[in-house]
Amino acid sequence: MPNEIDRQLIARLAANRTSRRRFIGGSAAAAAALVLGPSFLAACGSDSSSQDAGGGETDESTLRVSNWPLYMADGFIAAFQAATGLTVDYKEDFNDNEQWFAKVKEPLSRKHDIGADLVIPTEFMGARLRELGWLNEISDAGVPNRKNLRPDLIDSPVDPGRKYLAPYMSGMVGIAYNKAATGREIRSIDDLWDPEFRGRVSLFSDAQDGLGMIMLSQGNNPEDPKMPAVQQAIDLVAEQKEKGQIRRFTGNDYADDLAAGNIAIAQAYSGDIVQLQADNPDLEFVVPEAGGTSFLDTMVIPYTTRNQKGAEAWINYIYDRPNYAKLVVYTQFVPVLSDMTDELAKLDPEVANNPLINPSQETLDNIYTWPALTDEQTQEINTAYAAVTGG
Amino acid sequence: MAGVATSTRQRSRIAPYLMILPALVYLAIFFVWPLVALARTSLSTMSGSVFLPTLTFAWDFGNYAEAFTTYREQILRSFGYAATATVLCLLLAFPLAYVIAFKAGRFKNLILGLVILPFFVTFLIRTIAWKIILSDDGWVVSALGAVGLLPSEGRLLSTSWAVIGGLTYNWIIFMILPLYVSLEKIDPRLLEASRDLYSSNARSFTKVILPLAMPGVLAGSLLVFIPAVGDFINADYLGSAQTTMIGNVIQKQFLVVKDYPVASALSFVLMSLILAGVLLYTRALGTEDLV
Repeated sequence: MPNEIDRQLIARLAANRTSRRRFIGGSAAAAAALVLGPSFLAACGSDSSSQDAGGGETDESTLRVSNWPLYMADGFIAAFQAATGLTVDYKEDFNDNEQWFAKVKEPLSRKHDIGADLVIPTEFMGARLRELGWLNEISDAGVPNRKNLRPDLIDSPVDPGRKYLAPYMSGMVGIAYNKAATGREIRSIDDLWDPEFRGRVSLFSDAQDGLGMIMLSQGNNPEDPKMPAVQQAIDLVAEQKEKGQIRRFTGNDYADDLAAGNIAIAQAYSGDIVQLQADNPDLEFVVPEAGGTSFLDTMVIPYTTRNQKGAEAWINYIYDRPNYAKLVVYTQFVPVLSDMTDELAKLDPEVANNPLINPSQETLDNIYTWPALTDEQTQEINTAYAAVTGG
Repeated sequence: MAGVATSTRQRSRIAPYLMILPALVYLAIFFVWPLVALARTSLSTMSGSVFLPTLTFAWDFGNYAEAFTTYREQILRSFGYAATATVLCLLLAFPLAYVIAFKAGRFKNLILGLVILPFFVTFLIRTIAWKIILSDDGWVVSALGAVGLLPSEGRLLSTSWAVIGGLTYNWIIFMILPLYVSLEKIDPRLLEASRDLYSSNARSFTKVILPLAMPGVLAGSLLVFIPAVGDFINADYLGSAQTTMIGNVIQKQFLVVKDYPVASALSFVLMSLILAGVLLYTRALGTEDLV
């Protein structure tokens, strides 16, 4: 047993250092993109895929999965291979939604293979792919375990009937604080603007994750994102930035500053904080009183897949509760399947009782989600917020 | 006999071109072509769907006007930071290069090795290390706070000084090495001669050493200033919401906002401003050769 705990601690520490949405790798890719320019990137995309025959080819013995780093449990793939007889070519090469999209949009628009039969983007990106007609439907026959999904996830505004986007993991977007630095409990967004924490607050640079909870604190709702309401939140952020209240706009790189005490309060993802708490018990995650938002990563099958059946078998395997529990114990995010408490308790009672992994219905009721935005809306909001976050 | 001579002459006329051909091809593919593509993008208009836009080349100089007016603040800030960092590099590097070149004796190679050593560690890690050194609860901040030397924000990390410090630290090697090379080349007999002519140390420095070190100063300044203006890593990790540099803006325009024409126009604005600055600077220092 002591060995067991040690191993988990090590896994958590490892996960801390390079959490899944972490920014560092992205910066290097950004540097490359800066130097080379978009048309060059686009040219690279089409060159590298032009040899692939694309759509028509199939290979039912191998399944190529492309996932975020540290988003998989040890031994899980081996167990899946043993259960199905498929060979899995598993790559952790999904680092950033927008950068991934910039890379694959050229080959996908020509229906050329992208080297993956199943990909796990965040829901808004999956929705964009579906809109563009680049996804295959996930058949009911192939995934009978779909019935295990959380009731609130069985249908989706961006994917009516859940035909294309199969949830993988979800998490809450709220605020995290360092008790040692704040010296008091933090409950609402108004605490972020307390002059006492001037220069020690960080916000997300991502528009939806950053603005959702601020809209809620102003009595608006991101589920109805009319531009004046969004703009009102952006204006508040701009005002606080001018005052010097906001130290930085971050991706996932808020975590180090928060743990080090440079930042007292940060907008944060629940799973990151669960991982960091193992190391720093002063950290707390709360859903703000007026409400928080959530993110959802989804498994999708690109229409260039070479193994539709294998991809469906993978989703079905993950939607089996005992299998899924192994994943959750490792990733520390919120399960997308219902009634997971028993299965989680079998593996690790601590995880089953953690309200950030297994949130109460009351908490879930205070979580709001952005609806499907049109491309124009997304662009308008991104541009307006980018002007405030610094470029 | 005549025929042989002609063909040799012909061959020798073609040979130099053949020899530079690989470099020319390389430049054409990896420099000229991307640059032309970037120039075309910067003059294009975007239409059609938001995420699969069609870029139409239209001589649209409006992108440049938009890029310059919207982001003037970040452009000016970048030039200010880079200039400050260059001056700091020069002030720190000159005495060091001087000591290595004239006073280090048998320790010369050892000191040079030590100067280069930190640069075996990747740029990113070195920058992140500064986050730890400058952190709010760290000893640097408490020591400076005790003597009342902290900037108005009451911290070091996430201030303009941290960004300028990061730029200075990360690029200083490109100042030290050219300075060292040009100081090392100075013939010691010239210094002896100036002393024989009753020149004071200060006068020897301003009349002999400094003019002869000018090519190193110029090369070093350019090697520090140019990458520092476009840098976005230091502002990203050591800066705050108020210290955004133009590199951060270009990155965001390309990857988040995906306004490729404005992003390309910004790159060109930056490039031309740097070029103009470099020309003025070279003219002012009046040095013909760079090293």
